[in-house]
Amino acid sequence: MAARERVIRRITGSITFSAYWMIAPVVLLVAAFTLYPYAYALWSSFRVLSPVLPPAFAGLKNYKAVITSVYFLRAMRTTLILTAASVPVIVALGVLVASLLNRRFFGDFVIKGLVLLPWAIPTAVSGVVMRGFFNSGWGAFNALLYMAGIIHSYIPWLDNPNLAILVVISAQIWTQFPFATVLTLAAMQAIPVELYEAAAIDGAGLLQRFFYVTLPGIRAMLAIVVIFETLMGLTTFDLTYALTGGGPGTATTVISYFTWSESFKMLNFGNGAALAVILALFALVLILGILRFIPKGALIGGEKE
Amino acid sequence: MMEARGIKLVTYLGAILLAIYILAPLGWIFLSSVLPEGAILSFPPNWFQYELMGANYDYIFTGKVPPSGAVTTATLRTMISQEVRLVPRTILNSSIVAFSVMIINCLIGSLAAYPFARLRFRAKTPIFFFITLSRLIPTVALALPYYLIVQKLNLLDTYGALILIYSVLTLPFTILILTLYFRGLPEEIEEAAQLDGCSPFQILVRIAAPLALPSLIGTGLFAFMLSYSEFLFGLLITQSIKSRTLPVILATVSWNPDVTWGLNSASITIGIIPTLLLVVPVWRYMVKGLVAGGVY
Repeated sequence: MAARERVIRRITGSITFSAYWMIAPVVLLVAAFTLYPYAYALWSSFRVLSPVLPPAFAGLKNYKAVITSVYFLRAMRTTLILTAASVPVIVALGVLVASLLNRRFFGDFVIKGLVLLPWAIPTAVSGVVMRGFFNSGWGAFNALLYMAGIIHSYIPWLDNPNLAILVVISAQIWTQFPFATVLTLAAMQAIPVELYEAAAIDGAGLLQRFFYVTLPGIRAMLAIVVIFETLMGLTTFDLTYALTGGGPGTATTVISYFTWSESFKMLNFGNGAALAVILALFALVLILGILRFIPKGALIGGEKE
Repeated sequence: MMEARGIKLVTYLGAILLAIYILAPLGWIFLSSVLPEGAILSFPPNWFQYELMGANYDYIFTGKVPPSGAVTTATLRTMISQEVRLVPRTILNSSIVAFSVMIINCLIGSLAAYPFARLRFRAKTPIFFFITLSRLIPTVALALPYYLIVQKLNLLDTYGALILIYSVLTLPFTILILTLYFRGLPEEIEEAAQLDGCSPFQILVRIAAPLALPSLIGTGLFAFMLSYSEFLFGLLITQSIKSRTLPVILATVSWNPDVTWGLNSASITIGIIPTLLLVVPVWRYMVKGLVAGGVY
């Protein structure tokens, strides 16, 4: 018996060893590029760091400077508006399109491929595309509205602060809804067909089936989508960089862009680091939220030994 | 019967509206890449009265300046920026970087995903969540420290820096997806191999990886797509055409007032071809697998 136990222990021991060396490259790489940078950002957020000033301890000065700056508050407001306006539309559109793709129809695979297009195009490039599309002088959106007889003179979409934020919101929706669609579709396809059949036999109409079968089935996934898209909204950078450059004025300067320009345009690294820490904390709260909605054991199963 | 026909009608109507919504901006980009600038700038809009032309593409690839009609109709624009001619080279840069990242993802990604899917070891769940969730922290928060690391390693403006950073950014996705795949494989063969004395590494190489090959490639292509599209670190790390990536040059060229919209559109069209080609395989091998069996 003792020999048998020894053998078992030797086998499980070597398996555990295998597990550790197999995950080691990824764990070390990710850890090195996560822990050190955060430690560094945290450390520098408490310091005076600038190419022109001698380095020194700054205490909470950077945080104070950042939080009380009118630009920070404005960027925060812009970011919240962008997020609050885009996320509901992205989720609703995602559910709507997923419902469409969940049906079989002639040419459905073409539409499936199309839906992935905005997702496949680099976001910065989508920003450039939209900058042309909404151009005040010759953009296609103006031209199409004009040709349809809806407007009689061109609208300065990107030159008017209020309209520019609207354009950024629309572009955010365009680039993000495919991902919401894919995740929602995944959840929809996991709903057993029998549930729909039973509901149909019970005389449930289309809407009733949606509200009593589909919606409960995709609820957990929708929560994940909402949080993920909120994260995307709060941290969007590429899109505004390429679409508006934060303008006109500071009308579309979102918090990420503000963080970027504070660090790399103003070269105020301390303030940039403080902003980065604030941003990361925001994200952390949302990530913990995502974690709550992932069903226990859904990803890697139980942990033993 | 009536209900069924109504649903069908709504389905097709929805599909058409969706197609227009997605294609309108992209279709117009393609159209403006083959139209003379006069057509794009015309008011009232008159895109279809002009002859289509490939002059913009000619210029990007061969440096042949577009005929004056293409450039100066309706405006007195004569300047053409050389910058736009760098686009093909940046596509090469981006592809080399993205391909390297893809290989790294497939190799060390599957190596790590297999233990998460099949083996039992201490601290498995915390490590897994640490890796997968690390990616959700906004990249802008990492920009400055990453820049300093790269600078210290003497890797500014090199493929190496981009490959390193993009690997860190894409590996969490790869691990998540591959773990789900490996979990979905039938366990019996692997158990038999284990009884025959195969180590987990041998099982991965001889059984699990070949079985999951389509998904492995799909996931690798996804990593390719993400790397090809990355913008922020490309902007930060690349300083010259030696390593400049496609999204960065498209964004900077588009702010250059000397570059016509037609040239912009042509470079966008060329630049997005690689990722567009990947959409179908990624959908087939990765997304579909996720949809069919994974997360839920």
